[in-house]
Amino acid sequence: MLRVNKFKVLSWGAVFFTALFLFGFRAMDKISPKLQEKLSAAVQTTFEVGEFDLEWIQVNSSLNANTPVELGGDNLFKILQDGNVIGYVYLGQANSMKNVFDYVVLFNPDLSIKKAKILIYREDYGRQVGSQRWLKQFVGKKPGESLTYGEDIDAISGATISAKSMTLAVSDVLESMEILKDRNRF
Amino acid sequence: MRKTITFLMLIMGGAAAINAQSKKELDQKAIKDMCGCYEVTFKYTETFAPEIDYEKKLDYTAKALELALPIIDEENKISLQHLLVINDSTVIKHWRQDWLYENQKVFHYDKDNNWVFSKLPADAVKGQWTQKVYQVDDSPRYSGSATWVHFDGKHFWENKSDSPLPRREYTKRSDYNVMRRGNRQEITSYGWVHEQDNDKVVRKEGQEDVLLAQEKGMNIYTKVADEKCQLAEDWWKEHQGFWANARAAWDEVYDREGDLTLHKKVEEKPLFMHFHTLEKQNVNQAAILELLRKFIVDKTTNTNAEGK
Repeated sequence: MLRVNKFKVLSWGAVFFTALFLFGFRAMDKISPKLQEKLSAAVQTTFEVGEFDLEWIQVNSSLNANTPVELGGDNLFKILQDGNVIGYVYLGQANSMKNVFDYVVLFNPDLSIKKAKILIYREDYGRQVGSQRWLKQFVGKKPGESLTYGEDIDAISGATISAKSMTLAVSDVLESMEILKDRNRF
Repeated sequence: MRKTITFLMLIMGGAAAINAQSKKELDQKAIKDMCGCYEVTFKYTETFAPEIDYEKKLDYTAKALELALPIIDEENKISLQHLLVINDSTVIKHWRQDWLYENQKVFHYDKDNNWVFSKLPADAVKGQWTQKVYQVDDSPRYSGSATWVHFDGKHFWENKSDSPLPRREYTKRSDYNVMRRGNRQEITSYGWVHEQDNDKVVRKEGQEDVLLAQEKGMNIYTKVADEKCQLAEDWWKEHQGFWANARAAWDEVYDREGDLTLHKKVEEKPLFMHFHTLEKQNVNQAAILELLRKFIVDKTTNTNAEGK
């Protein structure tokens, strides 16, 4: 059953309460209010929209087993404005040196990357990975493209583990998007 | 023996008084050294942000020609009016800085166009100068009290004070609502520098302030020949009467303790646009005060101030 997740972005308070109401309890277990707030802000600033809806793209367990990134939870969404698809967003986690960080990859309707962002980072080392000066290297990459740290994507001194991890994560997201594309999921 | 001690104490007291007087003279000189015609470079860059997803905004740079005039020069009060000269043809009244010696009455910005007027204890401002900064329409901006420092050939004054958003971001940003300004004004061999270490803060009623981002600012004032600002000098001669009336009207408003909340707009226009009209008509103090009263929010019927 397709479950529709919507949150109208009117204000930060409205984001939280609407999301709480519409996401339902299962999703709330996974996406904290803080992360929801940051996800909303990322969509708003990247697509330059005030109000939008997020529609969850459900992936069944057999397909999820064939993708390198997790798609079984609240990971992949269609971004709608006035009922029209303006893009897609993948929300995931990757490893930093001693913890995990939350990231998003935002896609254009043609599935090329519009922007990648780190939303929550949980340690002091390697925070350079959140800089758009580095993250902008992912812009324009398309499903099926494979990314190698240090070759396709520049290395960052002092943030090797997180930067390598983010490169691998985005590469896996692109591979997963290619698989979903082949199965006509967009 | 007792006479000798009394004599020595008198000598020491006299020396301290002379020292305090010469220190105050140095302070006055430093303040008045900011007067004159300057080419100004404004540079701002965002530095640190606690949240990793914050995307730093583009740097801001601008240049201007500015005249600073000492419109009041008294023992305990020096007022400097800044005027901008645009394209050698237009003059715009810019900000004003008043300097008050051992002043107890200050105001600080709260949020939502509200300033809180309060009184500092006399011993807390001993030897200090309060800087009160006003906007183009002489409405409040921020104020703070600190000591002018004269050491190792340096002459500077620094202070931390909350203020509304700067004009360069006022209409462009809504992701923060208070700027906690770190102001440092230093007199240099070529003019003076207004160095800033600012915190962009989100302030909500009953909650702790949240730091969004920090920025470094450098406003560099390089002295140039007075003739370059002749247009501004002439403009002020023509308009100073109106602005004296404006200051007198504002003084009546500022004579308070507690909140002063101003509407952002009245009849769809911000205060400075109303002032533009009144300036053209060269109206008197009463007419200016009548306008100011329209902008003062009546707290019992406050519906315009955000977050109230």
